[in-house]
Amino acid sequence: MRTKVEDINRNIYDIKNKDNYEFKIKKGLSKEIVEEISKQKNDPDWMREIRLKALETYEKLDLPTWGPDLSELKMDNIATYVKPKSDLNSSWDDVPEDIKNTFDKLGIPEAEKKSLAGVGAQYDSEVVYHSIKEDLLKKGVIYTDMETAVKQYPEIVKEHFMKCVPINDHKFVALHAAVWSGGSFVYVPKGVKLDIPLQSYFRLNSPESGQFEHTLIIVDEGASLHFIEGCSAPKYNKVNLHAGCVELYVKDGAYLRYSTIENWSKNMMNLNTKKAIVGKNAQIDWVTGSFGSRVSMLYPMSILNGENAKTEYTGITFAGKGQNLDTGFKVIHNAKNTSSLVNSKSISKGGGSCTYRALVRVSENAKNSKCSVSCESLMLDDISRSDTIPVNDIRTDEVTFSHEAKIGKISDKEIFYLMSRGLSEEDAKAMIVRGFAYPISKELPVEYAVEMNNLINLELEGSIG
Amino acid sequence: MNVKLNETPVRTSRNFQINNLKLDIDIPTKIKEFENIEIINQESKITKEIELNDLVYGNGEELEENNIKYSNNKIRIETKKEDIKLIYNFDDKNLELINQIEIIGNNDANIIIEYKSNTDKKCFHNGIIKTIAKENCKLNIVIVNLMNDKSNSFEAIENDILENAVVNYTIIDLGGKTSVTNYYSNILGVNASNDLKTIYLGKNEEIKDLNYIAELKGEKTNIDIDVQGVLDGNCKKNFKGTIDFKKGCKKAKGNENEFCLLLSDKAKSIALPMLLCTEDEVEGNHSTASGKVDNKSLFYIMSRGLSYKEAVKLIVKSNFNKIIDRILDEEIKKEVLEEIDRRLD
Repeated sequence: MRTKVEDINRNIYDIKNKDNYEFKIKKGLSKEIVEEISKQKNDPDWMREIRLKALETYEKLDLPTWGPDLSELKMDNIATYVKPKSDLNSSWDDVPEDIKNTFDKLGIPEAEKKSLAGVGAQYDSEVVYHSIKEDLLKKGVIYTDMETAVKQYPEIVKEHFMKCVPINDHKFVALHAAVWSGGSFVYVPKGVKLDIPLQSYFRLNSPESGQFEHTLIIVDEGASLHFIEGCSAPKYNKVNLHAGCVELYVKDGAYLRYSTIENWSKNMMNLNTKKAIVGKNAQIDWVTGSFGSRVSMLYPMSILNGENAKTEYTGITFAGKGQNLDTGFKVIHNAKNTSSLVNSKSISKGGGSCTYRALVRVSENAKNSKCSVSCESLMLDDISRSDTIPVNDIRTDEVTFSHEAKIGKISDKEIFYLMSRGLSEEDAKAMIVRGFAYPISKELPVEYAVEMNNLINLELEGSIG
Repeated sequence: MNVKLNETPVRTSRNFQINNLKLDIDIPTKIKEFENIEIINQESKITKEIELNDLVYGNGEELEENNIKYSNNKIRIETKKEDIKLIYNFDDKNLELINQIEIIGNNDANIIIEYKSNTDKKCFHNGIIKTIAKENCKLNIVIVNLMNDKSNSFEAIENDILENAVVNYTIIDLGGKTSVTNYYSNILGVNASNDLKTIYLGKNEEIKDLNYIAELKGEKTNIDIDVQGVLDGNCKKNFKGTIDFKKGCKKAKGNENEFCLLLSDKAKSIALPMLLCTEDEVEGNHSTASGKVDNKSLFYIMSRGLSYKEAVKLIVKSNFNKIIDRILDEEIKKEVLEEIDRRLD
């Protein structure tokens, strides 16, 4: 008897619209292509220079010598910029019908009405909808697409763009900086606390293309924000690429909760980079659900630069047939009394592969820091794979550090116990799998992001056998 | 010579600085026979004929080639039920040891291998220990490194453990300016079991690099790794521990634990405890922890009249105690305890 957990129901996410674009750049990567993207986007000179410098860096850097096989990714087959037939709108009524229908089915406008303070929706390479509640505007909150931010707030963008994540961080960061398009810019002024979240949703419809959105969030001193990011794409037979970049600045005394629900299609190479710089007495919490993509390499990072800075990471990864999800978390303790708490879970089934890859570095000046890491992996069959590869780099004595990891299948003892309480074997196993995922899934913003229920549709009942 | 040692079985990001150890070392060649060795046994068959196959992991190409070409001491032991001691004494005439030891476990045996310096001069050790634990046999093997603070020590260990066999390995890694150990255990047979316990104590500018790899292949196999360490001064330690559950190792269990006590704010401790798994009916756990000496324990001991240094020694020895107790030879146990005291002075 073996527990069988169904794949995530992807019916909604696999809706394909006709590849109906206004402009699609030719496939491949060259100086001409980067210059054309810059021209299409009407970049200021300084941004154009960043793009060209990044292209040079991209050409110099090697592919990673570790992690999943990326040989299927051929940049010559990827169109890095696809402009949909839509301008940026602030009313859903102005968004073209086919695009609006897609977001309707994903539940975004509905969620906006019920429980969000602002929404950004990106379709292929451009943001097609952006809105924010009036009262937040009055408080000085800025929530807009990145292109608008580059033009309207050039000084802020210049000071922060590709500074938290340097261009030479790795090859796909350099690629991102060369061809980036779309994404969101958020600025929360000092002391302003947002009670309900902002959400950006990224949808990639066009086949053999890439999405390279840039998210830049600055939460100023004493402010607080919950930001939700969702991503999905329909499945094609050819490889698509996502190489986004998220730069987060959490200033002194500020709080940011960054939630991600990632459900890319299984032809997607998801090579995303996310980093946060955290100031004195500030905190960032990451909540991540990784369910989609063929290959993911995603390791959000917190750099705790201020005294008493804190970070928490709560993540779940679910890899099914044909998926190789290499995810994890990195934290650098750079100041006194900093603390980090990591809780990661993964489920592998149907030949899927989950890897938890991580780094904890406590530097010389991070006296009295604390770090606790826990990761658990559940194997649902013997054709899947689950690896745990954490690096713990401790460079000071005044530290309390612990790391623990577990790997295994559903415990026979637990099944026996539950069955002795009257549950059938099916129900007992289903309950255990749900219980395994619960500490993480309860942290995911279910009540806000309507797509959540569709995403973690484990369909346990009736599928155990 | 610039060498790359102790590669991990699975690579991770280069920025994490853990995939291998890069060193600039002098590797001696054309050296004379190592003569100052004591072999204490009764019945086991001991010869010099060894034909080693290539190592699965080992300490890197250069050192393996050096060992195969220039080995100046070879010992092959076919065990009988008894205690065996091999003591390699480095002295002014025997400063370089490139050795091979092959242990064929036919019967239960306790084997102690000790490397110690009776000289202040820099010594060099490049060793390979290959063990085959045959069906139902139980081997207790203890390696004690008491080389002086100027020396370089490199040891590559490989085990094949067959059905119902048990190998209990204890590594006492105290000596050497640089001490690098590669340990690979091929746990093949049904019910085969390997228990590995290590203590290390590094200080000053010393480097400790421990790369332990256990592959569980047979059904109901077991690996238990417990590493207890202390770092002082500017010492740098890398601990890389991999438990790899291979397909077919149904009902296998693997546990790995490392604790590093930091006595200095300049010491660096890097740990990479890996679990790799392609089988579902298994149980794997690992944990690592680092921290300084517990203030409450210090306060308690010092309130009984002991100095700070004595209190630290007591705490370190209590951490190490359950592992040191696996040394059945009282004389060597005493040497180990004295060396711990000396290194903590």
